[in-house]
Amino acid sequence: MSRRVLVGLVVCLCVATLDPGAVTAQPPVKLTFWSWRVEDKWAYDKMIQVFEQRNPGIQVEFVPFKQTEYNTILSSALTGGKGPDIIHLRAYGGLETFSAAGFVAPLDFDTVPELKTFSRQMLDGARGRKDGKLYGVPFASQTIVVYYNKKIFSQAGVSIPKSWDEFLAVCKTLKDKGVVPIANGAKEGWTLELMAGAVAPNFYGGTVFYDAVTSGHTSFKDPTYTNALARMLELRPYMHLNFMGVDYATMQQLFLNEQAAMFMGGSWEIGFFKAQNKALDFDVFATPPLRGGQVPWVSSFNDGNYGINARTPSLDAALKFIRFTATREFGQMFTDMLAQTSAVPGVVITDPILKHVQEMNRKATPYMMLVGFRWQAPTGSTLLQSALQGMMAGQKTPEQVGDEVTRGLSAWFEPFRGR
Amino acid sequence: MPGSNRSAAGSGPRRAEAPPPSVALTRFARPRPRGLTRRGSQRLWLVIFLAPATALFALFTTYPIVSALVYSLYRWEGIGRRELVGLENFVRLFTTFPYSQLLLNAFWHNVVVFVVTMLAQNVVALGLALLLARGPWGAKVYRVIFFLPVTLSLIIVGFLWALFLNPVFGIVNQLLATLGLAALARPWLGDTHTALVTLTLVNAWRWLGFPTIVFLAGINAVPDEYLEAARLDGATEWQVTRHVVFPLLASAVTIIVLLTFIGSFNWFELPYIVQGVSGGPNRSTDVLGLFFYRMAFGEVDTGLQDIGVGSAIAVLMFILLVTVSVFAAGWLRRREVELA
Amino acid sequence: MTKRTLWMPLGQLVLVLNSVVVLVPLLIMMLSAFKNTREIFQNAFDLPVVWRWENFTRVWVEAKFALYFRNSVVITLASIVVILVLGAMAGYALGRFRFGGNDLLYLYFLSGLMLPLRLGIIPLFILMRNLRLLDTPWALILTYAASGLPSAVFILTGFFRALPSDLDSAARIDGASEWLIYRRVMLPLVRPALIIVAVYNLIPIWNDFFFPLVFIHSDRLKTVPLGMTAFFGQYYTDWATLFAGLTLAALPVVALYVLLSQHFIRGLTAGALKG
Repeated sequence: MSRRVLVGLVVCLCVATLDPGAVTAQPPVKLTFWSWRVEDKWAYDKMIQVFEQRNPGIQVEFVPFKQTEYNTILSSALTGGKGPDIIHLRAYGGLETFSAAGFVAPLDFDTVPELKTFSRQMLDGARGRKDGKLYGVPFASQTIVVYYNKKIFSQAGVSIPKSWDEFLAVCKTLKDKGVVPIANGAKEGWTLELMAGAVAPNFYGGTVFYDAVTSGHTSFKDPTYTNALARMLELRPYMHLNFMGVDYATMQQLFLNEQAAMFMGGSWEIGFFKAQNKALDFDVFATPPLRGGQVPWVSSFNDGNYGINARTPSLDAALKFIRFTATREFGQMFTDMLAQTSAVPGVVITDPILKHVQEMNRKATPYMMLVGFRWQAPTGSTLLQSALQGMMAGQKTPEQVGDEVTRGLSAWFEPFRGR
Repeated sequence: MPGSNRSAAGSGPRRAEAPPPSVALTRFARPRPRGLTRRGSQRLWLVIFLAPATALFALFTTYPIVSALVYSLYRWEGIGRRELVGLENFVRLFTTFPYSQLLLNAFWHNVVVFVVTMLAQNVVALGLALLLARGPWGAKVYRVIFFLPVTLSLIIVGFLWALFLNPVFGIVNQLLATLGLAALARPWLGDTHTALVTLTLVNAWRWLGFPTIVFLAGINAVPDEYLEAARLDGATEWQVTRHVVFPLLASAVTIIVLLTFIGSFNWFELPYIVQGVSGGPNRSTDVLGLFFYRMAFGEVDTGLQDIGVGSAIAVLMFILLVTVSVFAAGWLRRREVELA
Repeated sequence: MTKRTLWMPLGQLVLVLNSVVVLVPLLIMMLSAFKNTREIFQNAFDLPVVWRWENFTRVWVEAKFALYFRNSVVITLASIVVILVLGAMAGYALGRFRFGGNDLLYLYFLSGLMLPLRLGIIPLFILMRNLRLLDTPWALILTYAASGLPSAVFILTGFFRALPSDLDSAARIDGASEWLIYRRVMLPLVRPALIIVAVYNLIPIWNDFFFPLVFIHSDRLKTVPLGMTAFFGQYYTDWATLFAGLTLAALPVVALYVLLSQHFIRGLTAGALKG
């Protein structure tokens, strides 16, 4: 290329960049929003649209990751000084990892006044344990329930069981009719932790035991707890023949395809099940206690928070978005679209199934490991998950599970040392 | 890239195509020195030729590996390095629960992977190579087919087989049912007894073509005179194979064994894709690579890292791999010299 | 001789069997890509009732396949260029010049063949972060180049060494500069080796998943393997889309392989076959 042409090009480029017309348009601020809620992307995209219309000049991109990879990917990104602007964070110990390391920007009632209206219980799940500061806007509470297919139930002539024996009888009837009674599988350890969260609380005595074990008065070796875990073994004949290989996606498919009658899982599935199979006629109940007549316990927990990356270059825009997530409008959209219990106060629940969940929550107990024992490594969840897999495979006894969990936790939970 | 825009004939003095290189030490080209300046300028050129590659290699390979060894001697908080603590990370790795158990568990699994791969993959590869060496009809096509999976990404292989082995919807169990073998159907990847071996077999499916080709080349390299001589002496085909071909395959075998060893102990992608970072179920597919990754980049449920323990694992793996590699390489060199 | 004729059909049977084991899973993958999810569950082995090309368009658009493909191409090509340029220079110096430390340097590069770079991932991660190269293509390019140098040096040194010794001396007498000798005389003669090195590194770099997993966090920089993982993570219940995605991800490399199989086989086994 001749030198003249080159010079001419350079001049043109300079002129082009100096053109005042090109400078007036302010580029929009782009925020990335990471989450593990792959199934909820469609709803978040809609809610983001509402926000973007109100705030032209800010664009938000929702990027979800598979739940089992999310923490590792997030940790690696934040450690590397990168990561999203808006972070979908867990609560309790799951939050502590990131807040204690200084990755999350602390919030307070001045920067986010909407937080003043949130319940204390919700806000506790958004606090760092070490410094007590708030690190996010709580987004939802979740409860662990038993989903059941109403059509299959009525065809088999069974109804919601009121006691544990009735529950087993229902399972047997369903199995005889050729349906898989319980869709749950064991391939992914966290789904077993969920199952324990559904079954065990009634047998270990809910919050009384939770308080005892978190204060160190007893440990997981306590027969109260191990006997509660043993109840899960009674359900094995009523799961899929090859349940050890059934992963989360397959579990969901079994229930959605109406090949299984029940699904023990979190209340976050309501919206997903409805969206995937509109013809599915389902509802929820709480795992029944040993004897009929008692109100059953359900495990529940603060599912997480929306937080801001401490290193984000767009703090103002991020704050605007965070405040939006704390508004009742957002909470109402959230609950309406996703049928999950928003943490925002004053949200009206219209979904009938979610209303049942709300009623069950009157006797809620903290979801043991997630709430109480995820503060340091090895976490109660990690230990329980693989131990339960061994138990359900018939390789470990419930007592061994309790022993392993206690021993592992004693590395950082002092009251368990020497037990 | 330099020289590539020239015509295929090349430029400058025309010479015959270079013969294939041999590993045995050949004479060096001796530049003719024309006084000190020539020497001096040649030194400069040497540096120019060697420096970039050496610098890149040193900075991005040697430095990280050496650092990894050093890191294991420090205490870590997240990604912040704290004080020197000597062997404390190793003590923690070897003696505290659950790390000690996890370490032994993972190591044992790597050993299992190595043994199963040797049997299921390399022995079969040898057999296939022997068959192909006879030049049966379609040998060229078979070669191309067998090698195909080697070009596939492990992501593809992992996801594909995870779908096939799904206990409820996957085709493997469906196939067994159609063949009347429904009793054999099981959750291949979910049963703690079968998960690791199944995964290793999937790995073998993907890699089989590689040792096949290597062995085939080795067999084809055996001079025909040796084979003819043995046959003339009245040896059967099997005897010819056993006593003439096998010894001359020694170097190929060593290389394959070495690569299999390194691959087995470095194994990460496939178990990560198929079973997840935890190496489930109940840690039955946990291997050193997964264990290392978990410690280095955060656990599944909380993202909590333990870089101290992670570095200690890296040191162990490093010692293991280097020791075996050095021994094997040295042994290989000696065998080559013997047979040359 | 009867034994020989007995072996032949048996041998063919084994070869055919192995071909089936290799090809059938891939065939099923491709066929399933055209079905819908229910059909995959129920009629796994049949031909698709309706050939649903929309599965592929969905993958192409939603999985941003074009974006990941472009990233993979750029990173792989750039890495190979660096490997060839630096590796050839080093191979030339090591193969044709006598100097103290030649053997040592050669072995130093060779040691990289056996060392698992992945074990140094933590310091490498920290290094990239300090150099501000995290979440940029350079983190990958430099890492791949560094890990590809040992094989390049190994192969190219051998080829350079084998060239006739008077080649460069003749050119030097004529007064040519070192660089010209290298570029115009030596390099064109090792072209086969350059191709071998390129192919040897091409597939592992293209298929690599580990380093992008650690270094790349922005969606727009992801390579095909990493992008596919993210995509599969999102669509793990949508088997039709999964199979279409798998097929699409496998297509470029498989097509290239089928066209250039001889080069691929030769290149990928170069390290083990020693030329």
